[in-house]
Amino acid sequence: MTVTASSAVPHLDVTDPTFSITSDEVKAAREQNWYATTPYGIAVLRYDELSRLMKHPKLRQGSVAWPAHHGVTTGPLAQWWQSWILNKEGEEHHRLRRLMNPAFSPKLIGGLVPRFQALGNELIDGFHRSDSCEFISEFADPYAARVIAIMLGIPEEEWPIISREAATIGLALSVTIRSELPRIEAALGHLYDYADDLIADRRAHPKDDFVTTLVNASRSEDGKLSDTELRDGIVLLIFGGYDTTRNQLGLAMQTFMNHPDQWELLAQRPELGRAAVEEVMRVNPTVRWVTREVLEPFTYQDLDFVPGTTVHMFSESAGTDPRVFGEPSFDITAERKPHYGFGGGAHHCLGHFVARSDMSEALPLLARRLRSPQPMPGATWLPDSGNTGPTRLPISFTPGT
Amino acid sequence: MRVSVDLGLCEDHGQCAIAAPAVFRINDDGKLEYDAEPADSELENVEEAADVCPVQAILIAG
Repeated sequence: MTVTASSAVPHLDVTDPTFSITSDEVKAAREQNWYATTPYGIAVLRYDELSRLMKHPKLRQGSVAWPAHHGVTTGPLAQWWQSWILNKEGEEHHRLRRLMNPAFSPKLIGGLVPRFQALGNELIDGFHRSDSCEFISEFADPYAARVIAIMLGIPEEEWPIISREAATIGLALSVTIRSELPRIEAALGHLYDYADDLIADRRAHPKDDFVTTLVNASRSEDGKLSDTELRDGIVLLIFGGYDTTRNQLGLAMQTFMNHPDQWELLAQRPELGRAAVEEVMRVNPTVRWVTREVLEPFTYQDLDFVPGTTVHMFSESAGTDPRVFGEPSFDITAERKPHYGFGGGAHHCLGHFVARSDMSEALPLLARRLRSPQPMPGATWLPDSGNTGPTRLPISFTPGT
Repeated sequence: MRVSVDLGLCEDHGQCAIAAPAVFRINDDGKLEYDAEPADSELENVEEAADVCPVQAILIAG
């Protein structure tokens, strides 16, 4: 990797298991330069540069070689990984994206809002009269999984299947990918069976829903989605939409517990729900960073980008860049430049309209009904890298009306 | 058909360029360029582009 830069370039060891993207070390590095070197590739730390590079046509999405890096090159997981839209580029990618877009349309999702509200209230009813709850298992987990069930048109009682299988596939994104391979592949198999049943059902009995829209997706130059592509689309909704949303709701609660005035404001002004989601994702995104790989050489700022170089996009670092956002703050009424918690460019999160909608409904509801939430002992967390969030978040609160 | 894009909202993700490549493109500087009066045969693609724009910055008239 070639680095041609005149000012001091910090180094960040992203491979250290204790590395934390939200650490002071990263913030100090950001103040030294717009990027840092790492053991593999560079990390982009500041907003303007991340904004440009996130959508740069000469960078491809970076995760295609992840399983191979861990010795997983054959078998169902390796195959699924290769075929997944996230790991495609160019026309292959664009065709899949065009065919999958209608199923994720904001128009389809708008009609589901009343169900999201009913779901949120039902879950809160379950623990509302106590003065405490375990926020993940009693709210964030079932909420995220049941939203997926609603999208898929399956009975909401089946949500534990989604929760269990999707969480197991999530192991593929961590350093346990190799040791957990049999479990991961079993979970993938279960989800494939599930998807196949749904596809067959909607072929026989079309509905006005996500799966039917996917099954019927057709464009003259793109044809239709093959059976494998349909399965992958359904597994993508489950895998891409559950883990992330569960984590993001947990992180939202963490952030708001640190800013009680903002939580009170949200309770008084539920129309700020959407703004609350954006502001949380700016400072506390579950997807801490995304990666790219340089495809063609180019020069940007003072740096020559060499093909094959990994470029880590530190979304949280950019989202708190003082050059753009001033001193650290959390304000759901502020006008902000956009965050990159949903990535950007060709691979911008496909499910973001769903995620934004269901979280915008959940947060004001929670603010109104769980007043003055406080952390209790016993919280456990995923590592602060890749996708992060609490796995247990015991909280106390005052029941609101 | 007339197409307009609110460039104040546009973040140059290029989802429109994927949905309607004959009408929208991202140039070498990473900025959006588009045909403001595309052929009517592009209507379906342009509607799709307006639907998928992450910031809903595309307006179709006429």
